[in-house]
Amino acid sequence: MSSGQRSSLVALVIVLIFFLAWEASVTLLHTPIYILPAPSRVLQTLGANAGTYAEATLITLGEALAGLFFGLLAGTLLASLLILQPGMEGGVMTLAILLKSTPLVAIAPLLTLWLGFGVAPKVIITALLTFFPVLVNMLSGLQRPDPALLDLFRAWQASRWDIFQHLRLPSAAPFLFAALKISAPLALIGAVVAEWTGASGGLGRIMWLAYSNLNLPFLFAAIFLLAAFGMILYWLLASLEHKIIFWSISIE
Amino acid sequence: MQISVQSLSHTYPGRPLRPALAGLSFEIASGQFAAIVGPSGCGKSTLLRLAAALLSPSGGRLAMDGEPPQQAARARRIAWMAQSPALLPWLTCRANAALAVRFHRRDTPSRLTPEEALRRTGLADAAGAFPFTLSGGMQQRLALARTLLLDADLWLMDEPFAALDELTREQLSAELLELWQPLRPTVLWVTHNIHEALRLADRVLVLSPRPARLAADISIALPRPRRENDPAFQTLLAELHRALGLAAITGAN
Repeated sequence: MSSGQRSSLVALVIVLIFFLAWEASVTLLHTPIYILPAPSRVLQTLGANAGTYAEATLITLGEALAGLFFGLLAGTLLASLLILQPGMEGGVMTLAILLKSTPLVAIAPLLTLWLGFGVAPKVIITALLTFFPVLVNMLSGLQRPDPALLDLFRAWQASRWDIFQHLRLPSAAPFLFAALKISAPLALIGAVVAEWTGASGGLGRIMWLAYSNLNLPFLFAAIFLLAAFGMILYWLLASLEHKIIFWSISIE
Repeated sequence: MQISVQSLSHTYPGRPLRPALAGLSFEIASGQFAAIVGPSGCGKSTLLRLAAALLSPSGGRLAMDGEPPQQAARARRIAWMAQSPALLPWLTCRANAALAVRFHRRDTPSRLTPEEALRRTGLADAAGAFPFTLSGGMQQRLALARTLLLDADLWLMDEPFAALDELTREQLSAELLELWQPLRPTVLWVTHNIHEALRLADRVLVLSPRPARLAADISIALPRPRRENDPAFQTLLAELHRALGLAAITGAN
């Protein structure tokens, strides 16, 4: 068994122990279902309402991925612009930090007010949330290629654009993946929080409804789905990372 | 490419009390292989960076065929090779070599194809491999292939083989000499290995400790390949040792 297989087996065992302990303590302590439902009960709810959950998951996941895409695009483009057109970094970063410091929980209802209960405000909130890690990471990646390589390109009298496309952009790829690993889970949170403030569908909507009715198995089923998809997203990114920046991983 | 250095000085910003170069002057004829030796930190690398137009001197003049380095660099007549092979890790050997062709000198078409350059540097079988799978010696071979592809008139080499083991270093410098001889670009070869300097160069410029001045200028008329047990080699070695000792003393005063 390889060390990778062993560590995923260990992870699986730990997760299993966690759920078994949860199940056992809830059963033994007779915890009321409106305080904490047993995992088995949550899974039962999930199975019984598979269609509802599938639809909601599709909406939330769509919003999260669309937001992540736009956040990624905006962050990458802005970081590239700051590198290709130096001197604007101070001003733009101040604006970005201002945006980042504004509580999104406050903006979300506003956007819902302006744009209605559809997916648009959710995508915007998610994009705003995921944009900042991408901007900051891409900027560091683009700014700091290997100094020996930078010397070489400068000795070659390469143009700013040549240095950008042949050196800075590929050098920033590991930073982009680091940003995505932060941003992908944030995207799910962004979509759910935005739905919470008013939506016609999605896991956030289900959670809000379940919470209002103290229907905790329903609430936990949504939480389980979010956690699972957060993890799947992270795994997908990690395996994509191994494929795309194999050169960086091999150097380490 | 003929190189002329006149009272060249350089002080890094923020370090006004520790100039790297102070009034360095020498001339190097076109096609000459010049080794530059001197104690570590004496300003050898600064000199090379000035020649590559990576830095602008704070005083004095540096001319390449009568033109400022910036102009020679813009015409892409200068090749740069340093201790780090500076390979793009995400590109195969072939793609790394092909990238250099993009930055070929402007006045003539390239004479070599990437494949040919790889073959000449013994990398034909590694063309599809990524740099991180290669040994340090092979990585520097790739950097050398890239240098060949530029058809430059001046090779600026800052201890390119210093990080390699002794055996690989000797082998690579012998190969370098073979590649250099038919082409005869001017070479500025910075090294702290005086045996290497004597094996390779037509001329050894000994620099004083920082700030660098010219402490000695030794011509080496021995035919290549040179053997270390040759009495003439030993005489030059002793002379170079003396010059370096002297350089250290002059600098201390």
